[in-house]
Amino acid sequence: MEPHFSRGAFLFWMKLNFMRFGFETDFEGGAQRCARRLRIAAESLAALALLSFPAGAQGAQATAPPPAQTNAENPKPRALLVVEDDWGRRVEIPQPVRRIVSLAPSATETVYALGLQDRLVADTDFCDFPPEAKKLPKVGGPFTPNLEVVVSLKPDVVLLAGNSANRKETADALDLLHVPAYATNAKTIDDVLASIARLGEVLGAAEQGKALTDSLRARLVELRRKLGVAPPARVLFVVWQDPLISIGQETYIADALRWADAESVIETKLDWPHVSLEEVVHLQPDYLVFASDHPEEVTSILTGLRKLPGWRDLKALQENRVAIVSEAINRPAPRIVDAIEDVARQLHPEIFAESPHASLPRRTHEGRSPARQAATPAEANP
Amino acid sequence: MKPLTLHRVLWTCAALLAVLFAMILVALKVGAVPISITDLALNLGRVILGRRAEMQSDYRLIVFGLRLPRIVLGMMVGGALSVSGASFQALLRNPLADPYVLGVSSGGAVGAILALILLPQVALATPFAAFLGAIATIAAVYFLGRRRGQLDSTTLLLAGIISASFLSAVIIFLMTTTVGRDLRGMPFWLMGDLSAPLPESLHWILLAGLIVGIGAIYTTAADLNLITSGEREAMHLGVDVTRVKLVVYVSASLLTGLAVSVSGAIGYVGLLVPHVMRMLFGSDYRLLIPTSAIGGAIALLLADTLARTVALPTELPVGAVTAMVGAPLFIYLLRRRLR
Repeated sequence: MEPHFSRGAFLFWMKLNFMRFGFETDFEGGAQRCARRLRIAAESLAALALLSFPAGAQGAQATAPPPAQTNAENPKPRALLVVEDDWGRRVEIPQPVRRIVSLAPSATETVYALGLQDRLVADTDFCDFPPEAKKLPKVGGPFTPNLEVVVSLKPDVVLLAGNSANRKETADALDLLHVPAYATNAKTIDDVLASIARLGEVLGAAEQGKALTDSLRARLVELRRKLGVAPPARVLFVVWQDPLISIGQETYIADALRWADAESVIETKLDWPHVSLEEVVHLQPDYLVFASDHPEEVTSILTGLRKLPGWRDLKALQENRVAIVSEAINRPAPRIVDAIEDVARQLHPEIFAESPHASLPRRTHEGRSPARQAATPAEANP
Repeated sequence: MKPLTLHRVLWTCAALLAVLFAMILVALKVGAVPISITDLALNLGRVILGRRAEMQSDYRLIVFGLRLPRIVLGMMVGGALSVSGASFQALLRNPLADPYVLGVSSGGAVGAILALILLPQVALATPFAAFLGAIATIAAVYFLGRRRGQLDSTTLLLAGIISASFLSAVIIFLMTTTVGRDLRGMPFWLMGDLSAPLPESLHWILLAGLIVGIGAIYTTAADLNLITSGEREAMHLGVDVTRVKLVVYVSASLLTGLAVSVSGAIGYVGLLVPHVMRMLFGSDYRLLIPTSAIGGAIALLLADTLARTVALPTELPVGAVTAMVGAPLFIYLLRRRLR
């Protein structure tokens, strides 16, 4: 069964997680998973009642190999790389890194982009890109990973993403258990590129990391050259519409918009501000930007919003100036550059229409088309 | 009613401790990573014989690094909440009193969050601020709950419920408006959760606070028996009511504050466990306090084991489990009383 994320659910859940705290695997239904949970639940209840148990929770073995498996693998102590991560924590990582556990979708994507997927032993329920990442063993959600499963996988390093997926408590917990945990914490696109390069160094793929970030940076420079001195589009980035949640200026998403020659109309230092609709009506953004891999969902949401007071007074909505961009913009990973290019194309169609031959190549990974362009259908089929 | 003898207290506690021990074994066995009974027995044996070094390192990490500390933490928090619930029920002469219902847990949580925001670097600021928050809340609720100089049962409960909802709103306000610090883990304070491992030193502080708090309350157990039948009557019988009340309020707030500072606001344990213990063993506080302590440990350990295992590999916050199991059980007990 294909996990189907509702639009912006990832970010929404980050902010409002007290409503869904601990329940995020519900996003990923599936009869098998359900049955397994029931089996485990029944088994633990039976165990509690009878104080006698069968040989073990077989169901959990899908996510965790028997602990003894890899014990005698490394008789010699390995070299340690001592680094400071983006949270300023000192991390000692054995080299070469052989077993990686990723606790964030962005970290999973970066590991794949660096070509290190063979060393990735597990990731989270939210790691859906590239599609192969969905088949890896899961350790729960990014916010409430199961520490027992993480520890049992004997990772050389656990990767976290500070302000997009994980919380500090998880890193603290792993420290107490002496499991190396390396966190990235990007606030700008420069930070994102730097963190990709640093992950390359830490994981023993410095060259790939440098090549990857060089090419990403070249694309950004080219984009900036192309956009030239066009006045920035004033946009409202909609993380969630009810209640209305947008982004703060100190997030990498706001910076991604700036690279696409757009500016978020919401001025705040809070990362995920709840925004008053009155304020938005007053500001009248040029465009609404939604992040979704399911544009048809956004279309149906927009139909609903057009009927609501406040929303229907937004000129951007009346004139269908809405950009739907891939959820990659929510993740501080290499694909965010694809998303930036896509936003730029949608918000500044005139620039890209003028010189069709020089238009940017669409670099998207396999099996995924760039987000549809509801606002400018002509541009979608050049 | 049989007279209470030391013999009976000891035997009752021994029986409950046996149940607790069995529960610990179950909690050690079940979890996300399957562990066979033989391995568990073997490794427990190694620990008892002092041969920790012979253990496989992942068993040491998973069973003794993760599960055991969490089990110990759950037992301590459960015991603290139940004893503090039992004491509030006596002092306020109200069977519905409990640190969660009275808002004391939320007060502790507000204190803890303020300490996290304002004094992030100061060691032990969080438990201390949680204690101050708890004691300030119970004082406020106590004064709000008085009518014409008398403690009014209904007013008191309403004051508690309203304080709890006010303080929850304060927590949400702090969560939404604090800039520049990662407070996304904060919902934990509203729900109650035991998943974060703590440094060992905090375990010892918690244990010390628990012994002091429960010990202090236990010294007043005989007086509490008299106070439950009325403060004036107790005073006529020679109880120093003011002193007893002061000791019990401070100790119960200490217990609640400590519990909240490590686990957030967990509901229903402090309310239900003393009730169940009363039904099973009678309402003499000399027996009720130790049985509540052990019963609370059993109850929260059971709830946390369920929280760890029902939604594998994800965990539920334990507060959700205690509320889901506790609320219907509470209604049942309430209806039974009315009949």
